[in-house]
Amino acid sequence: MIEAYAAEGAEAGAHGAAGAGSMPNPMHQFEIKRLIPFELFGVDASFTNSALFMVIAACAITLFTVYAMRSRALVPTRLQSVAEMSYTFVAGMVRDNVGTDGMKYFPFIFTLFMFVLALNMLGMLPYSFTVTSHIIVTFALAAIIFLGVTVIGFWKHGVGFLRFFVPEGIPVILLPLLVVIEVISYLTRPISLSVRLFANMMAGHTMLKVFGAFVVALGFLGGWAPLAFMVAFTGLEILVAFLQAYVFAILTCIYLNDALHMHSH
Amino acid sequence: MAGADKTSGRNQGGCDQDGIRRRLDTLGERLAEVQARHAPTPLLDAGARGAAFGQAMRLGVELVAGVGVGGFIGWALDRLFGTAPFLMVAFLILGAVAGIMNVFRTAKAMQAKAPPAGKDLPADMDDDDD
Repeated sequence: MIEAYAAEGAEAGAHGAAGAGSMPNPMHQFEIKRLIPFELFGVDASFTNSALFMVIAACAITLFTVYAMRSRALVPTRLQSVAEMSYTFVAGMVRDNVGTDGMKYFPFIFTLFMFVLALNMLGMLPYSFTVTSHIIVTFALAAIIFLGVTVIGFWKHGVGFLRFFVPEGIPVILLPLLVVIEVISYLTRPISLSVRLFANMMAGHTMLKVFGAFVVALGFLGGWAPLAFMVAFTGLEILVAFLQAYVFAILTCIYLNDALHMHSH
Repeated sequence: MAGADKTSGRNQGGCDQDGIRRRLDTLGERLAEVQARHAPTPLLDAGARGAAFGQAMRLGVELVAGVGVGGFIGWALDRLFGTAPFLMVAFLILGAVAGIMNVFRTAKAMQAKAPPAGKDLPADMDDDDD
């Protein structure tokens, strides 16, 4: 899989070099590099740059929350109030969208939100790697959420959870058709959840790279226009990085609410 | 006052037109002032635009995902039963329907969350209208 990806990247690089002279390949930044080659039962489980940035994100979140809350002051310092704000933000999101009985899933939602946010924000640093720009990563996250939520639904309601796929007040003749449509609509959840995050991150970073290349190619005289655009676009990208982490977390809340309460439609 | 206006309107038409023009000018100035005060600040606009972009992206992906999942299910069932391409065609259509339904639901949820039309303006809007 990784070889195929690398080969594709190299091919695209060759095409890019042929088509645009000395322009750097905008997709090069998404290349997976093996840092520590490692094989587990015939499966390539190397420690890659993607894995490295996930570890960095997890460590950064842990360090941030633990260090910020070390004094546990009644009147918080600036750092402590940032940590408390992220807590209240996610807690409010869970309470509004799932209800108070959903608060026992708060640790998961908080971890998910902080992890995706940290990965998106780390990707905004120069020379870093954006883990969430790979669909396999976002799809794995979405698949875990999807399976977990479905298991919670069946665990809470038993077989009665299947009623979720049967819309109310529908003539019996139409039921088979509508149940199939409802099931398909349920199955699109992990796809739309993962594609949204991945597409936003990848498109944004590709744009940044392309315009960065414009700045260099147009030189000192003409490069100012794309540079000004880049500055504005970087601001927008930081907004998108936050917004997509927020959307990812809030949709998880909505799906969880459907599984717990089954009154979405 | 009203009587005086009436007589001036009948006897000296040019003077009245000047008055109307003056009133129009001051009205235009006041309108421009009010519009400038209510124009969104650039920063706020960028944030709103980002949020709107996020919503549009959400709807678009929702629609495409329905077709994609439907097509994939049909393709897999076709492979299983050897009925290509009929199930894939049928499930593509079902997937499109599911996608449209998802978009409809998402849009409805967005609408329920957004403030009702006309109430999203600042509260001090009213005192300039009259």
